[in-house]
Amino acid sequence: MEVGRRPLFGEQQRFMLFLIAPAALLLLLFQVLPIAIGANASFRDWALYNPKKTWVGLDHYRSVITDPAFLEVVLPNTFIFMALSVAGALVLGLALALLLNRPFRGQKIVQTVLLVPLMVAPVIAAIMMRWMFNDQFGIVNAVLEGLGLEGQPWLVERWSAFGIIVLTDIWLWTPWFTLLLLAGLQSLPKEPFEAAAIDGTSTWRVFSHLTLPMLRPVIVVCVVIRAIDAFRTFDIVWTLTGGGPGRSTELFSLYAYVLAFLSLDLGRGSAAAIIGAVIILVVGVALYRLVDRIAKA
Amino acid sequence: MAMVRQPLMFARLPTGARRALFALVLAGACFAFAFPVLWLILTSLRPESGVYYVHRGTEFTLGNFAEVLLDDRLLQAFFNSALISTLATFFSLLVTVSSGYMLSRFRGPASSTWFGTIYVFRCVPYISWVLPLYFVAQSWGIYDTYIGLLLPHIAVHICFFSWLMKGFFDGIDPSMEHAALIDGCTRWGAFVRVALPSAIPAISALAVLCWLFTWNEFLFALILTGNRVPMITVVMAQFVTEMGMRWNLMAATAVLALVPAFLLALFGQKYVIRGLRI
Repeated sequence: MEVGRRPLFGEQQRFMLFLIAPAALLLLLFQVLPIAIGANASFRDWALYNPKKTWVGLDHYRSVITDPAFLEVVLPNTFIFMALSVAGALVLGLALALLLNRPFRGQKIVQTVLLVPLMVAPVIAAIMMRWMFNDQFGIVNAVLEGLGLEGQPWLVERWSAFGIIVLTDIWLWTPWFTLLLLAGLQSLPKEPFEAAAIDGTSTWRVFSHLTLPMLRPVIVVCVVIRAIDAFRTFDIVWTLTGGGPGRSTELFSLYAYVLAFLSLDLGRGSAAAIIGAVIILVVGVALYRLVDRIAKA
Repeated sequence: MAMVRQPLMFARLPTGARRALFALVLAGACFAFAFPVLWLILTSLRPESGVYYVHRGTEFTLGNFAEVLLDDRLLQAFFNSALISTLATFFSLLVTVSSGYMLSRFRGPASSTWFGTIYVFRCVPYISWVLPLYFVAQSWGIYDTYIGLLLPHIAVHICFFSWLMKGFFDGIDPSMEHAALIDGCTRWGAFVRVALPSAIPAISALAVLCWLFTWNEFLFALILTGNRVPMITVVMAQFVTEMGMRWNLMAATAVLALVPAFLLALFGQKYVIRGLRI
């Protein structure tokens, strides 16, 4: 017997494998495998009328990348949406977290009310907004007319429709930022704030020199998670505008869905889905590097 | 110990004015976040004819709810959504608790590879795997079935929840587990009997979140189910196009769909706030 050689697959390794096996298996079957099958489909003419599923190489990728609707509408929309909705929700969420981070009467009630959007399904939020911004009977136009202004056909114009989509998203996700940032604020050490209070430091300086830098790791993690999720937004666009007017408010997920299930070109839809995944992975890895650097700084 | 007060904003204003401003801002924020839901509830209480002047009418009715609840498809959708959400919550937590524990307690290539995998798949947009999952589900014969919807719903939470779980276990001192190991406990025993009980607050928080996410999810149900397994979000999205102008019924349906989520969040709020720390 060889002495001093540890078994390749020891007790600890077996335990580790045991812990992740169910999760890894599910991930393999329901994410890795579908992506591989989707990649295969994206190289083929995978439409209903072609049972042979002919190999077409990179044709689908070429046609998506050169599609003016994708390049000039969908991609810019997706990134503008990402930037506006994340920035909006972050600023509002941080402001609310700062307000809630000190005891006052009725805090419980305010906190509960502010968390309302967290329980509302994006589909329901979109339905509410669609009803409020209804051009004939919506409350927004009723108020505008009451003020002597003219009601707007909100969901019929490209940029107002896009603005409502962004607004709905900010409404939905601000509480999420508030919740996480509030938890972050409450776990900060008290001493630096006490010292600042004794020195009579101004509120703004406390915020910009103490709170913000100390909260930075939490903020960055929240922003990364939210930015990646914002990229795949589907529900609210589908319910609010369906991508319209025309196709002017389509975001990436809707574009791939429309190609695959409405144009029934599953091959091209898969190609679009993979292009989107590659784009967000590049963005995601870049963001992860950034987080790592900021968290360690 | 004296309560430490952070310097207040707008310190130069007199206390009364400062208080009033603070209250005003908070009231405004509450109004902005609650108004759409209140408006929906108000609309759901108006008769058909009153929908077009919701802000002026004085007639109220519960008839919309009665009419909506007569719809078999909707009742079935409620049942399906509740069932899938509950099962998905249970199984998601079952698989992610152990995966997060592994990430937190072990260093080395296995752990960092698993973490990298999770991060990458967390970034992949849902459409990129749910779209081809449609072929997979059809060829396995699980398209439009409970199991065909439940399994992807469990899979989708693996990445994010393993990550959060890792964070929770990182905050729990492992010395108790070491002590248990020295006392002759197995690794498995140390995990189940020592680490798991101290992670209960975190697990409760994730359970609430997981249930809400699944109840609110739309894209999976849209792609992976047809007529046999209607889910509440899909049925509602169809209503918007099918029922067109019948906003009173639409609102009543949406309010009914909000109730379970609302109750859960109300009772689960303290767990979420206590347990959720990145």
